[in-house]
Formats: sequence, structure tokens, C-alpha cells
Amino acid sequence: MSTTILPEDRPLASHKSTRSRETKRYGFFPGCVAKESCKELFNSTMLLADKLGIELIELTAASCCGASVVNDVNRDVARVLNARTYAQAEALGLDDVITICSTCTGHMRAANKELLESEERMDQANAILGKFGAKYHGEVVVRHLLWMLIDDIGLDNLRSMVVRPLNGLKVAPFYGCHIIRPESVNGWESARNPHSLEDVIEAIGGEAVDYAGKTRCCGFHIQLEKDNVASSMVGQNMRMAKDSGAEAVITPCPLCHLALDGYQQDAAARWGRTDLPTFHLPQLVAFALGVPPEKLGLNKHLIDPRAIMVERELIS
Amino acid sequence: MAQIKLDIFRFDEATDTVPHRDIVEVDIPETTTVLDALEYAKAEVDGSISFRRSCRSAICGSCSMNINGVTGLACKTPCNTVMDDEGVVKVDPMPNFQPMKDMVVHMDPFWDKYARLKPYLQAKDKDSDHATERRVSPEDMKKLVDVANCIMCATCYALCPVVSVDPAFAGPAAIAYAYRFIEDVRDAKRTERIAQISEDYLWLCAHCYACSYCPKHVDPNDRIIDVKRAAINDKVMLDERGPRHALVVAKTIKQTGMLAETEVILGTVGRFNVRGLLKVTPLALRMVARGKLTPVEMAVGGTAPMLGLASMKPIPKVNEVRTIFESLEVPV
Ligand code: SF4
Ligand code: SF4
Ligand code: SF4
Ligand code: SF4
Ligand code: FES
Repeated sequence: MSTTILPEDRPLASHKSTRSRETKRYGFFPGCVAKESCKELFNSTMLLADKLGIELIELTAASCCGASVVNDVNRDVARVLNARTYAQAEALGLDDVITICSTCTGHMRAANKELLESEERMDQANAILGKFGAKYHGEVVVRHLLWMLIDDIGLDNLRSMVVRPLNGLKVAPFYGCHIIRPESVNGWESARNPHSLEDVIEAIGGEAVDYAGKTRCCGFHIQLEKDNVASSMVGQNMRMAKDSGAEAVITPCPLCHLALDGYQQDAAARWGRTDLPTFHLPQLVAFALGVPPEKLGLNKHLIDPRAIMVERELIS
Repeated sequence: MAQIKLDIFRFDEATDTVPHRDIVEVDIPETTTVLDALEYAKAEVDGSISFRRSCRSAICGSCSMNINGVTGLACKTPCNTVMDDEGVVKVDPMPNFQPMKDMVVHMDPFWDKYARLKPYLQAKDKDSDHATERRVSPEDMKKLVDVANCIMCATCYALCPVVSVDPAFAGPAAIAYAYRFIEDVRDAKRTERIAQISEDYLWLCAHCYACSYCPKHVDPNDRIIDVKRAAINDKVMLDERGPRHALVVAKTIKQTGMLAETEVILGTVGRFNVRGLLKVTPLALRMVARGKLTPVEMAVGGTAPMLGLASMKPIPKVNEVRTIFESLEVPV
């Protein structure tokens, strides 16, 4: 049995127990992409939550986290936007905000860290929030669904809930940058040798494939800057996954998903064809826990994952 | 004492066409640094093992190499923090560089990118008689002390995934060093420097934070964001995809509270850039075919911004978002 080895000194804010954890009612921040071009991620997350017996309460008035680009324009705006989101969670009595996007995780945690570590910044944010009657008290913890699965549900528990094991499907974990780096912001597990996705893959009956690309960048944020560079970053990583025997990829990040699913075709000229279907984390977990596959939006992917699932006798 | 097995990359560009590996076993305390282990192997076992080093204390920047898959300073890495259960420490040259001999690599591309920066002060009072010192306030100096710690070890450059696929990218260290002069109040060439580094693909950084593993805490990833902000603040070379992207993302968030994908694509590529848009379109069409975007979304997203309308339905209480943007005087 494998367990994730967590750093002893990981920041408290990544795992401290919250009220939400006891009541199984969590704040839920889906982020823009899960509401726009990756709706299948949003839907599978809600279906997974049902199976897990938890309630994800969507923060419907939340804004974008600022992604990684708003900081390029202004040093403070992303922090204050996120303070507004946290204030909304607090007002709903929720102190644990679950995300399903690596980039949201990293940037929302970075904002929270800045707010919690500096009275000056907290005051600046609350002075602006006060203009519309809101206040952030600093109670919120932001976590990725992946961490919640391991910390709150537990791998053993997860394993016992599996009704449709993956029959040893060889799955390459692709973390994406912002759920692991910088470690000073995330720090839930080692960024250089993370293990959480592998643990989840194994808990649901798959075989985790190890390859150097798993902690590298997919190039999403520069797709529009110079698309051949971005697609080449996808190709390079998927080449490594394929050469290590992967039959599919799993990612906790919809941006990585867009990149990996959308750009392998364009990268083929330089890196050879890889055609690895890519699952969203909640999609594959929900499948193993018995959510009917036709509800998971597998047909929305550019590289159809159903072929390998048929081959592995996971679906007919 | 422990037995450390050094698994060493061996290659000599003068004689070899392909590299091979040597295993050298050394009996040394396991807290020995990888550099001292290599020194020991070179002194006691095989004098031809080649690697760069000088200070042995993370000052000179010579000894960066790939150690068990992780690039960093050999003199700052104790064997017991990296070796596996069998005591193996695998050493390779830094990635993203052409190997010359064993762990020694050709550093030229890295230095060339520095040289392009003119990495020296081009002072405002160039003609002064040097009778008075150039004074800098402690606050102004504070911005520079961290980057001034850069030892040019190239660890960050070796870790950068963009450098690995596009050698034209300046890379983290050079951009951080550009920052060092851009934010120096004594320097006269701020604008030229921002323009130069923009040309050297400042905006091609993928925000991946791989370079956050700088051994001297320069945090090039954060300095890159600082330089981008300087470019936007000073309005230098803003009609490029990178800055347009950042500004249009900020603008759509201000308008709708969310990041409106289609509008961002149009705003970044340029809505009248038909060739550029055609390059993006096949992906968009593939996405429509798969129901990721509906044709209506694509059409609405495509035409609404042309008419100057926000294409997405704003989030509830979007006025609060606008208040935030206005209070902070965000330039969008
Ligand atoms: S990171 Fe992306 S998906 Fe997450 S909120 Fe921001 S723009 Fe949206
Ligand atoms: S891998 Fe790419 S898209 Fe995914 S989080 Fe990292 S930078 Fe963002
Ligand atoms: S920024 Fe850091 S990692 Fe990069 S060259 Fe300088 S000291 Fe080395
Ligand atoms: S953050 Fe930017 S410069 Fe640093 S390693 Fe990543 S892509 Fe390279
Ligand atoms: S020998 Fe000088 S930095 Fe390692």
C-alpha cells in the first residue's frame, strides 16, 4: 500500500483542519475554464462530490483568481480579487475553498499567503472590500480537490469506494506547475518528487507511469505568445510519457488539459505522434467510483479517451 | 563512513561521439557534498573526471550540474539528501547546454544572453567628475540586493522548459539581471533595457516557477513579473502579444469578473490579424466539433468584442470587481 509522504514542515494553511472538513460542506471555486471550455470537468466534479458524500457549495459570485497574468499588470489586484472571494466564502460560513485547477490553486494560495502574512496588505484589501460592505477575516484555506481527496477522504477509504477499478490502465500523472510550485506557496508535497496523483491512480486500480515530464510545464500560458513553443512543450512531455509506456494521462488542471489534449497533434511534427488521451482528475475518479461514463463528458475531448477504455474493457 | 556510488556521465567532445557512464565507488561520510565526492573520486580513482568548481561554498557559480535528475550546485548538495537506497548519486551535465567534457558544458549561449543586456551601470550622470558618490536610498537598494546575489550558475537556465524548446528565449537569469539595472535609480537606459529584453522574449516565460529553485534566492520568476510590470507601466513595446494578452485578460476580468476566453484570444492575437487568427482557428474548430465551445459561443465570442461588447455574462455583483480595479488604478 502506498501512502503519500508529506513534508513534516508543510505550511499549516495547506492541511489544517477546518470546519468544512467536519461538516463535509466545502466552498467550491471552479474557476473560469471549468465553466467555459472544460465544462466536463465541472460536471464530473459535481458527480464525484455526490459519490464522496460531500457538498461543494459553488461560490457563484466569485471572480477569476487573476490567473498568472494579472500580476503582470498590477501587483495588488489579484490579491484583492481573491480576498473578495474569501470574504464571500466566510459569509457563507465556509472556511475551506476547494479548487479544481492547478493555476487557481497556486495563485489563490499565493494571494492568501500574502494577505495572512502582512497586516498592511490585509488592511489594504479590507479597505477596498469595505467600500461594498465586505471583509475578509483571514480564516480561509484554499486546497485543491486532489489534496482534499487524500487528506479528508483518505486513500484507503477511496480504495474501498471503487466499484470500477481501472484494470491496470497505465496512467501518466501530469501535475502542472502551480499545484506544486513554488513550494513556499503550495508545499503540500514535494514539488520535485510529488506522489499524490500516483497514489490516487493506484487507489482506483490504475498503474502510475513515472516520467520526467510529470512536473514540467505544459506551456499553456504562452500558447498565444508563440504557439509552436507551447505545443513543443506539450510534445516533449507527452513523448516522455509515451516512451515510459503511458496509455493515458491524468491532470488536476484544466489549462494543462486544454494544452495536452489540444496540442499533441500540432507537436507531432517535432516529437512524433503521441495521441495520449487526457483525463481530468475528477473524471477518472468519478468513473472508478461508478458514475456512468456517458455523464463524464468523455466525448468532449479532442483525443477521445474511449478507445483505450474499450480496449482495456473498462467500457463497452 | 558510507559507500557512495557515483554514477558519472562521461563524454569528451574531442574524442567521443556518444557518452557512456562510469560507476566510481568512494568511501566517504554520507554528509559529504556531491562536489567533494567528485573531488575525492578525481583525486583517488580517476583523474580524468571533469567538472567545474572553485569556491566550494556556493559563491562562484561554477559547479551546477544535474544530480539524480535535479539540477543544482554540487557544492551545496550533501550526498545523503539525494542518494537512493543503494547509495547511488547520479551526476550529469546541466540540461539545456551542449556537453563539452563530462559535467563541463559550453556556457556560451548563457553568457551571450548576458552580454546582450549590457550588464553594467550606464549612469545618468556619466559626465560627472566622480567627486561625489552616486547615492541610492535604502528603499531603492532593497529592490536590488536579492538579484545582486546572482552567481550566474545557470541552474535556472538549465531548469527552464522554454529554453529547452526555444533557445532564442533570454532565460530566467538574464531577465532577472535586466531587472537589476531596470530598477537601478542611477541607470539611464531603463527604456532601452526594457525594449531589449522584450525583444529577447521576456513575454515567452511560461510562468512555470521551475526557476524558483535558484540556490541564491534570486527568484527570477518573480523578477520576470516585475520587468513585465515595468514594461506595462512605462508603456514600452506594448503592441506585442504578451503585453496585449496580460492587458486583455485584466480587461475582461474587470468587465465580466471572469476570464472570457474568446475575447482573450482575439485581443491577444489581434482581431484584425487574419493570418494569426486562422492559425488559432483550427483548434477552435476542433473544439467546436467536440462540443467544447458551441458554435454560438464562438460566433458570439468572435463578433461581440468586435462590436465592443463584452461577450460573457458578468458574474453577480461585478460592480465590486470594478471597484477593486478602480481603487487600485489598474490601467485597463
Ligand atoms: S486560473 Fe484560470 S481557470 Fe483558474 S480562475 Fe483563473 S483564469 Fe480562471
Ligand atoms: S503546466 Fe502549464 S497550464 Fe498547467 S499549471 Fe503549469 S503553467 Fe499552468
Ligand atoms: S538567478 Fe539564481 S539560479 Fe539563475 S544564475 Fe543566478 S544564481 Fe544561478
Ligand atoms: S518561470 Fe519562466 S523563466 Fe522561469 S523556468 Fe519557467 S518559463 Fe523559464
Ligand atoms: S564550487 Fe562555487 S558554487 Fe559550487
